[in-house]
Amino acid sequence: MNEVLEQKLSTEYKYGFVTDIDADNAPKGLNEDIIRFISAKKNEPEWMLDYRLTAFRHWITMEEPKWAHVSYQKPDFQDIIYYSAPKPKAVLNSLDEVDPELLKTFQKLGISILEQERLTGVENRIALDIIVDSVSVSTTYKKTLAEKGIIFCSFGEAIQEHPELVQKYMSSVIPYTDNFYAALNSAVFTDGTFCYVPKGVRCPMELSTYFRIEAAGTGQFERTLIIADEDSYVSYLEGCTAPMRDENQLHAAVVELVAHKNAQIKYSTVQNWYPGDKDGKGGIFNFVTKRGICLEENSKISWTQVETGSAITWKYPSVILKGDNSIGEFYSVALTNNYQQADTGTKMIHIGKNTKSTIISKGISAGYSNNSYRGLVRIGKGAENARNFSQCDSLLMTDQCGAHTFPYIEIKNNTAIVEHEATTSKIGEDQLFYCKQRGIDTEKAIGLIVNGYCKDVLSQLPMEFAVEAQKLLEVSLEGSVG
Amino acid sequence: METAIKTSTIKDKLIFEFETSKLFLFGDTQLRDQAMESFYKQGIPDRKHEEYKYTPIALMLKGEFDFSTSKNCSDEQIEPLKFLKEAYNVIIENGIFVEGLSNLENLPKGVTICSLVNAATSNSALFEKHYAQYADIKTDPFIALNTAMTKDGVFIHIAKNVIIEKPIHVIHISTASKSTIIHPRNLIVVDENAQAKIIESFETVDSKAKTFSNAVTEIVVDKHAILDHYKIQDENELGYLMNTTQVIQKKQSVFSTHTFTVSGALVRNNLTLVLDDEHIESHLNGLYITAGNQVVDNHTVVDHRKPNCNSNELYKGIIDGKSTATFNGKIFVRKDAQKTNAFQSNKNILLSEDGTINTKPQLEIYADDVKCSHGTSTGKLDQEKIFYLQARGIGLTNAKKLLMHAFASEVVNTLKIEALRDYIEGKIAKTFE
Repeated sequence: MNEVLEQKLSTEYKYGFVTDIDADNAPKGLNEDIIRFISAKKNEPEWMLDYRLTAFRHWITMEEPKWAHVSYQKPDFQDIIYYSAPKPKAVLNSLDEVDPELLKTFQKLGISILEQERLTGVENRIALDIIVDSVSVSTTYKKTLAEKGIIFCSFGEAIQEHPELVQKYMSSVIPYTDNFYAALNSAVFTDGTFCYVPKGVRCPMELSTYFRIEAAGTGQFERTLIIADEDSYVSYLEGCTAPMRDENQLHAAVVELVAHKNAQIKYSTVQNWYPGDKDGKGGIFNFVTKRGICLEENSKISWTQVETGSAITWKYPSVILKGDNSIGEFYSVALTNNYQQADTGTKMIHIGKNTKSTIISKGISAGYSNNSYRGLVRIGKGAENARNFSQCDSLLMTDQCGAHTFPYIEIKNNTAIVEHEATTSKIGEDQLFYCKQRGIDTEKAIGLIVNGYCKDVLSQLPMEFAVEAQKLLEVSLEGSVG
Repeated sequence: METAIKTSTIKDKLIFEFETSKLFLFGDTQLRDQAMESFYKQGIPDRKHEEYKYTPIALMLKGEFDFSTSKNCSDEQIEPLKFLKEAYNVIIENGIFVEGLSNLENLPKGVTICSLVNAATSNSALFEKHYAQYADIKTDPFIALNTAMTKDGVFIHIAKNVIIEKPIHVIHISTASKSTIIHPRNLIVVDENAQAKIIESFETVDSKAKTFSNAVTEIVVDKHAILDHYKIQDENELGYLMNTTQVIQKKQSVFSTHTFTVSGALVRNNLTLVLDDEHIESHLNGLYITAGNQVVDNHTVVDHRKPNCNSNELYKGIIDGKSTATFNGKIFVRKDAQKTNAFQSNKNILLSEDGTINTKPQLEIYADDVKCSHGTSTGKLDQEKIFYLQARGIGLTNAKKLLMHAFASEVVNTLKIEALRDYIEGKIAKTFE
């Protein structure tokens, strides 16, 4: 079994290639001039620049949060390139005009945009927005979506074309004062995805954003804003990869979701940023703020995440259940290997009456990694009949790793029913034995058991992603039982 | 000078008091100096301090405080507090051991019960070996403060192979006429193969002013020893209690602790168990019944350092009025502590609309071959159960009482001393009136 372990633990990061795309970089460092530079580059209106500068001025007064159960070398914020756009970045009319190098990158990533175009008309297709470094390079299926009145474009484009929507909703869920990284993002964000689903529209396809950090020495600061108007439905997926580099790169994104009356948003993430090599060198610092608000009654927000990458993950997708009868869900698989550290979980803030939330979190630790669940369930005074169920399980693969659970439960209403359960264990020898006895080798057996263990979460993912996530888990983990 | 002290903060006042009185205190002055320095560095924790997030320390330390301690209790006042007929009673009044009120006649051979001040000289070898070795002044400002400023407390030693049948009942009473801060300090050493039952109760007698009691107890449970420890916190609405208990367990020892909090303005318990060898068994039980504006905060840490140990924790709470109850439990399993079984459970009933429950059950695990779990649930009394009882002719009030008794009994039934169980049941019944 140890051989299998050795062999598998040395499995290289598959997406670690570097593509030589000519990029348009800002000078290193951060000051008001850089922010003006970014804003000017993006041809932004004045209110946007003002917002950035206010956020920046606030950010200077803030300190980095230290409470998470992770330890790392603090990034030097003056040693980061805050703007890097793949050149040529003129508006593209068709994919033929895209830099061939970039297309090659996509092929390596296994994203075939061309293929997708040819398949137009096929039912189960996905509209894709691709963000390399900090800039959105391609958005597919825009036309099909526009017919339904759905706006799906890059954030930069939204600022230009739909300023009223951006102004209304941006920062309404996560104000720039929220935390250190949210403030930083508000000051320097370069692009991201914007999506608006109008009243009564059920989005006919999965919307998806693909993030990639390409240039060295850069940080990625994107912003996503999704608004589901009354009676609408949207399912959104994001995926991330980065090249292998010895240095730590910073990724500090902000994601805001707004669900109006009877609306539903389903947000799925497969995060596979470069986790660093087997000695813990390099890798992405993933410090992300994600929050959704169920603004009006009967709305629903559901977060599903599969976290396998990043040297350090610091991420708590949350739901504010403001509308009566609203529902918040959080399904998570977080896998850490080698020297990865993850401190992830959720916050469910119950404000409205009859609000419900479910938290299912599955942590898997292997190698020398540390994996923590940290979650808050808060039942406000007015949240009559609120209901929460949380389950956090941890699986330990070696005797060198750590699995931790830090739930915070705060209840101010006596009609609330809140339950929390957590267990920690390792893969059962008897389960392995059972599989092996039936001719399934150790490696496959572990894959099988882990996939079974994560089934509650994986089944929440859209089909295409579920398959990818399963493979990802197998690659990241197989045989790592000590 | 007078005015300068009045306008300064409580922290400055404590430091000033320390500097003027330290020469009159017993024990090692150097240790006291270090402790005070550590307290100075850590400061008084505010709401931003992760460990004191839900405890309003500021409320505890509001107003003017006096540092003097007086003795003024009479036998008649004490008598009703000695609710165990068959027991050795120890009276600690305002943090000072009072021999005259205690009854320690006919102690079996090998059992020492005396004041801590006394033990520092008469039992110096044991005292030096254990005193301030487990409650670390660097980890908590209140431990530091207690170590610096304590004036007295009780010292209990059960020698090797001694089994003491009658329980030892340590009664802490506060009888303040002015607002007071006291720092009682206890040291309990149960040697190899010895067995004992120790009860600590916290009461107020004839108190007219606020008492802030910052008590620290260190407990050593040596190889194969068995210790049952009970804590009953029943101070009045002027009692503010900060109660730190630091336990170290050696090979194959069994330690059970039961904490009952029925009243008091603010009670904060810091209970830490260090399982320092193999095959240790630990039980932690707690019950808190709160009402009015009470604040009860239970922090427990079970630190599994070695393999093959079992720990089991059960805390239950019934919250009424505008009170706040907090449970913060941590199970810590170190790298080498394979084959650990650790379970933790916290259940709460929220009776009123204005009560608050904060619970934070935590697992921090660095070993893979372990079985650890925690669970917590919070809700109101089950309507169906009430209906069931009402349908059988039991009135609403009685039905509720019955259900609350049933809820509490899971903890109460773990009590091994019958007289104590009756007493606690009586107390519980009274709070449900």
